[in-house]
Amino acid sequence: MKDILILGIETSCDETAAAVVKNGREILSNIINSQINIHSQFGGVVPEVASRKHIENIAVVVDAAFREAGLTYSDIDAVAVTNRPGLIGALLVGLSFAKSFAYALQRPLLAVNHLEGHIYANCLDHSDIELPAICLVVSGGHTSLLYMSSIGEYELIGQTRDDAAGEAFDKVARFLGLGYPGGPAIQKAAEKGKSGKVVLPRVYLDRNDFEFSFSGLKTASMNEWNKLKRKGMADVNDLAAEFQAALVEVLVEKTIQAAAKHKVRSVLMAGGVAANQELRNLMKNRGQELGLAVYYPSLSLCTDNAAMIAGNAYISYIRGDFAPLNVNAYPGLLSL
Amino acid sequence: MLITVYSEEEMISLGGLLARVLEKNDVVYLIGELGAGKTTLVRGIARGLGYTGRVTSPTFTLMNIYAADIKIFHFDFYRLQGNDLADLGLEEYLEKDGLSLIEWPQVADNLLPPEALLVNIELVEEDYERERLVTVSARGQRYQAKVEELRGIC
Repeated sequence: MKDILILGIETSCDETAAAVVKNGREILSNIINSQINIHSQFGGVVPEVASRKHIENIAVVVDAAFREAGLTYSDIDAVAVTNRPGLIGALLVGLSFAKSFAYALQRPLLAVNHLEGHIYANCLDHSDIELPAICLVVSGGHTSLLYMSSIGEYELIGQTRDDAAGEAFDKVARFLGLGYPGGPAIQKAAEKGKSGKVVLPRVYLDRNDFEFSFSGLKTASMNEWNKLKRKGMADVNDLAAEFQAALVEVLVEKTIQAAAKHKVRSVLMAGGVAANQELRNLMKNRGQELGLAVYYPSLSLCTDNAAMIAGNAYISYIRGDFAPLNVNAYPGLLSL
Repeated sequence: MLITVYSEEEMISLGGLLARVLEKNDVVYLIGELGAGKTTLVRGIARGLGYTGRVTSPTFTLMNIYAADIKIFHFDFYRLQGNDLADLGLEEYLEKDGLSLIEWPQVADNLLPPEALLVNIELVEEDYERERLVTVSARGQRYQAKVEELRGIC
């Protein structure tokens, strides 16, 4: 069978990314225009909401993806692009570029849900995942549990009611003066500290559903920090360790519960927070105890990238599920 | 005017009262540090306007839209600090066909309408477990009238 080469484009938030993936498996190139160094000086992400940066970057990034893959434009079989969810202006840059590219080359266009892309990142690293599975998507903007019956078939079973897990990491890290990005900063501090010395709440909400809430943990962490400082007993590493432990425990236990309730044997993690070592370890350990196979992508595929978009689009390509050239971009999570 | 709020439930109720004086095309600035209760107040306003769905922090997405009785644009400029925001496209939303509730407006000060309802949420002695002091004030006459209206129902 002929190899299928798909160009993937991702501009849903801060990163301008392009990649070429062969047969939904083999990454030939994976280019990300990361702005992380510039972000650090502000203690927050500089979003390219404005889309201006995406416009400046996109042609360069796509060219780099072709160059690294050693391909010319006409070698690809389809163009895949994230069209939801995300910042609308940012999404539109990628979508418009992808449409023009597909039209000019007379290749089909494939529209990809960003979250499905994140989950598919697992399939780029592992070819033996038993489905159905429970998927935990955790990032700066998302904390969602999904039931995945097959690739491309998802049911949203729970989300955060306030802050996303990655957002809590970022905000608490900033409050503790640990810098940005918050996930790695807290993980590093936590390694030098010990959880349990201060006690932060594990917020489970209703034990029977799969909803999350991290706003209370964020506030409790900041409150504890203020109190410790007043007493002159502030150890940032211990607090970071407890915060991380509290957040990770809830993520893991809710995911495990969901796996039990839906009687699946696989758990998939995805998104930037899935790069957290504590989360990976605890999920793996709990999974082993219960006979669950736990998967997470390699670190570089956890954060936003276009390889996951090109990979996921292969499934649509095989099914002939092409997007019309007037397909729109949608900011919300709806209709995942 | 100053309102003391003792719990999350009271913050939601205050949002309900604010909802009664707010209308389409109004702009509300929500000021207060991390964890002060800005998003909770927005949830209260949305509930007051008949929206029962999820009201989450828009820190990452920058803007959430809620299909309440009137459309609500929930902005959060927290992570834009120190940036040029001229290209944000805010003019697409502000004072158009919905109510704009804006967290961290100070970040985009020069790009936002000069007239607005100002809600300032303060902690007491940096203690998150204690009450919040909420000050509602007006920038501009139209909003002054709303403050008076709120005083009447509080």
